Amino acid sequence: MVTAGPQGLTRRACLVAAAMAVVTGWAPRVRAQGVAPRVAAIDWAMAETALALDHAPAAIAELLRFRPLAPLPPAPATVDLGLRGAPNIEALSLVAPDVILSSNYYAFIEDRLATLAPVFSRTIYVPREAPFPRVMTLLAELAEVLGRPADGLRAQEAAHVRLDGLARRLSGHADRPFLLIEIGDARHVRIFGDDSLFGGTLTAMGLRNAWSEGTRFAFAAPVPLERLAAFPDARLILLGEVPPHVTRALRDAALWNALPPVRHGRLHRLPALNGFGGMPTALRFADALTGALAT
Amino acid sequence: MTLTRAILPLALVLAMALWGFTALRLLPWAQWPALPWQVDAMSVPQILLSYGAMPRGAIALLAGAALGLAGALMQAVLRNPLADPTTLGTAAGAQLALVAATIFTPGLLVTSHLPVAFAGSALTTVLVIWLGARRDFAPVTVTIAGLLVGLMAAAIATALTLSQGHYLLSLIMWNGGALTQTDWRGVWRLAACLVPAVILAAVLARPLMALSLGDAQARALGVRLAGLRGATLVLAVALSALVSAELGLIGFVGLAAPALARSLGARSPLQRLMLAPIAGAVILSLADGVLMATASLGGPSLPTGALTGLIGGPLLLWLLPRMTAQVPGRVEQGVQTAGRARQPGRVIGSLALVTLALVLGLLLLGRGPAGWGLVPSALWADFLPLRATALLAAMSAGALLAMAGAVLQRLTANPMAAPEVLGVTGGAALGYAAVVFLLAAPGIMALALGAATGGALALTGLAAYALRHDMAPARLLLAGLAIGALASAVLAAIMASDDRRAWVVLGWMSGTTAQVTPATALALAGLALGILTLLLLAARWLEIMPLGSAVGQALGLPLIWARLALVLLAGLATGAATLLVGPVSFVGLMAPHLARSLGLMRPHHALCGSAVIGAALMGLATFGTRTLSYPYDLPLGLMATLIGAPWLFILLLRK
Repeated sequence: MVTAGPQGLTRRACLVAAAMAVVTGWAPRVRAQGVAPRVAAIDWAMAETALALDHAPAAIAELLRFRPLAPLPPAPATVDLGLRGAPNIEALSLVAPDVILSSNYYAFIEDRLATLAPVFSRTIYVPREAPFPRVMTLLAELAEVLGRPADGLRAQEAAHVRLDGLARRLSGHADRPFLLIEIGDARHVRIFGDDSLFGGTLTAMGLRNAWSEGTRFAFAAPVPLERLAAFPDARLILLGEVPPHVTRALRDAALWNALPPVRHGRLHRLPALNGFGGMPTALRFADALTGALAT
Repeated sequence: MTLTRAILPLALVLAMALWGFTALRLLPWAQWPALPWQVDAMSVPQILLSYGAMPRGAIALLAGAALGLAGALMQAVLRNPLADPTTLGTAAGAQLALVAATIFTPGLLVTSHLPVAFAGSALTTVLVIWLGARRDFAPVTVTIAGLLVGLMAAAIATALTLSQGHYLLSLIMWNGGALTQTDWRGVWRLAACLVPAVILAAVLARPLMALSLGDAQARALGVRLAGLRGATLVLAVALSALVSAELGLIGFVGLAAPALARSLGARSPLQRLMLAPIAGAVILSLADGVLMATASLGGPSLPTGALTGLIGGPLLLWLLPRMTAQVPGRVEQGVQTAGRARQPGRVIGSLALVTLALVLGLLLLGRGPAGWGLVPSALWADFLPLRATALLAAMSAGALLAMAGAVLQRLTANPMAAPEVLGVTGGAALGYAAVVFLLAAPGIMALALGAATGGALALTGLAAYALRHDMAPARLLLAGLAIGALASAVLAAIMASDDRRAWVVLGWMSGTTAQVTPATALALAGLALGILTLLLLAARWLEIMPLGSAVGQALGLPLIWARLALVLLAGLATGAATLLVGPVSFVGLMAPHLARSLGLMRPHHALCGSAVIGAALMGLATFGTRTLSYPYDLPLGLMATLIGAPWLFILLLRK
């Protein structure tokens, strides 16, 4: 039992407590030290990793769009911090986090964040570099920051076991390479290369990504549909929803229907996934892929 | 002379050669499929050729022709060599309508994009034409109104794009105007509309010829002006909307094609209306051929619309000096409104007091998790510095933009002059984007430097150009707009690359105060005061200049140097403010007009009044961004646009 001694309450917490007396609802809960640190996540991969460690962030940026995509649900009382690229500093300071989780994407606001609380930031998604190992390492690194190193190793172990299990079930599908795409419009797709989380997960499961040149573009590039013709043997994995007018246009498109994977029924659909997620998204992708191929 | 005549056939041969090169690299001639095609029996390269490369080549010709005809029709009916679907806001209207429909009512787009695109195009075009009618269709005013309406539509579309991640990819490709095809249906749709359109245009050619003699003569010859104008514009807008719906934003072909037709010696409206579609088809085919060949050789596959946009800016600059002969000698007049205030000092004083009260209110009032309310005093230490910083920066930016607008409007004697029109914002955006893409994780200082350098380069180019052409005010504005068009084309290409870093640029383009530090805010405020002081010292110049260059010279004004100095000051103010607000804002347009309507007429009064009003407007805008969709900060540029745009229309509607 930790009592709130002179060092137990931060100056900010005192102010906030006073504020709560004035206007209820404007102030956050008062919290003693020694309890698990309060975490605010700007980056979604960080938020997912924290959730995977069973340490729900008190606040997440762009919560509105994070919720429907998140493989592990954030706590109902989670505070929305606004846009990831421009988080609401007032909302963030009301949360009074002990640590802010960020990534290389938000390097340009890191100085600003650092004035509120220590920032834990890692480089996760970089063009031409595989994010999968980084996401795996992040489990251990974040667990360290949260003061629970053992949980990090346990989570890594669990992820390996889960992936291996799914990989065994898919081992019969290793004969053909996979093409992971997202439909943009009727003429353009995004193809996930090895420098995407999904491409990396695929490789980690012992499967082959047909799109080896993904490195030439950004990690998720809008590519003309005709480029798919170069992969007649591939299994086509379609991620996310397709807008209604595109569905209609594709139904009649000669080129799309002539693509060998489409013609021969090697087209599989997966739900929308967080393309910039952490290990939970990687596992959900592996899960969904296994489910789609099994049916 | 013979060379000029040979340009079109030569370009066509070149375009076809480029297409043929790409097609033969795709599939050797011997393997080309024989007619009739049997899709099921075809190999993939054969399908790529007959349902990819072939319709792409055809649609480039058809879309180019449609845009060329649309541009020629608009130019004929408005008697304005600068009119085309891009400069009249037609294309931007289609873009906004399609973006909005994609986000809010995707069901509307299931069968066809055309009705939505047409509605959007018609709306913005009618707006621009209506505004132009109030000023007797003076070409430069119409063009500026059109480009401003276009800017506004694009700003709203950007903000909508930003607020939704869902269908973003299709929006991005659409903005870039990609010509990639996967079947022949687009080709048939375009052809089915283009053929009757050309016939209609031929029918309209005779009455349009009568119109070119002037309204009175045309009426005397029995032409029903309203009907003729309406029919011609509807046809032109429909053509432009058709291309927008099929392919996206392909800028400036409608401007280039009639210009080419004219320089090839097409004199009568009929000749122009028939030659312009051919020229447009050749121009777009050539542009697309270059891109196809580049991609076929392993280069990047860029959207064609980005390339035509790149050509558009320089083209406008090239056309400007050749405009004089074709533009009626009418002076582009300014508005004369309310009389001079009897005690301007008192007016400015009250303005300042109101602004001060506003500042206090904006600092304390706000929105939190529980709703609206005043910040409790216990949180002052945390909140007030944040808010004060954002407010100071935004208000300084507002004052800077307002002063730039006031100077430009006096300098050019044109009520539509505004800082975003100077091209400085476009240059700054390019500089910012360059830093984002060149450095791995750029800091604020690097970004600021990049944007300032970009703005300065644009300004230098503009000044050099303007000096050569004796700084004719209207040309200066159009040259600025041309630079802006060039910048937005490059930015469109960047967006089309779908790089994660494009988001950073996109976010900045709609403006944000989130990254301002107290030091930057203070520096900006210092700059605003410094520029105000300098401008007050130059107030006498500003008093004389609107009277015309002859009066100025007679009074011994160093005309060129005075103009140059003022342009540079306005540019500096704009560039600095742009860093913060992003490229679009109407504060610079509004504030000087508001000051004038309060009776602040003399330059020093107008400058002080504009600065205070600009600061207050921007303060209000920050409040809106912070509260309207808490905790999601809205783009500051968007708020400023939303506050400023209605003003633009009221202004243009007043005679």
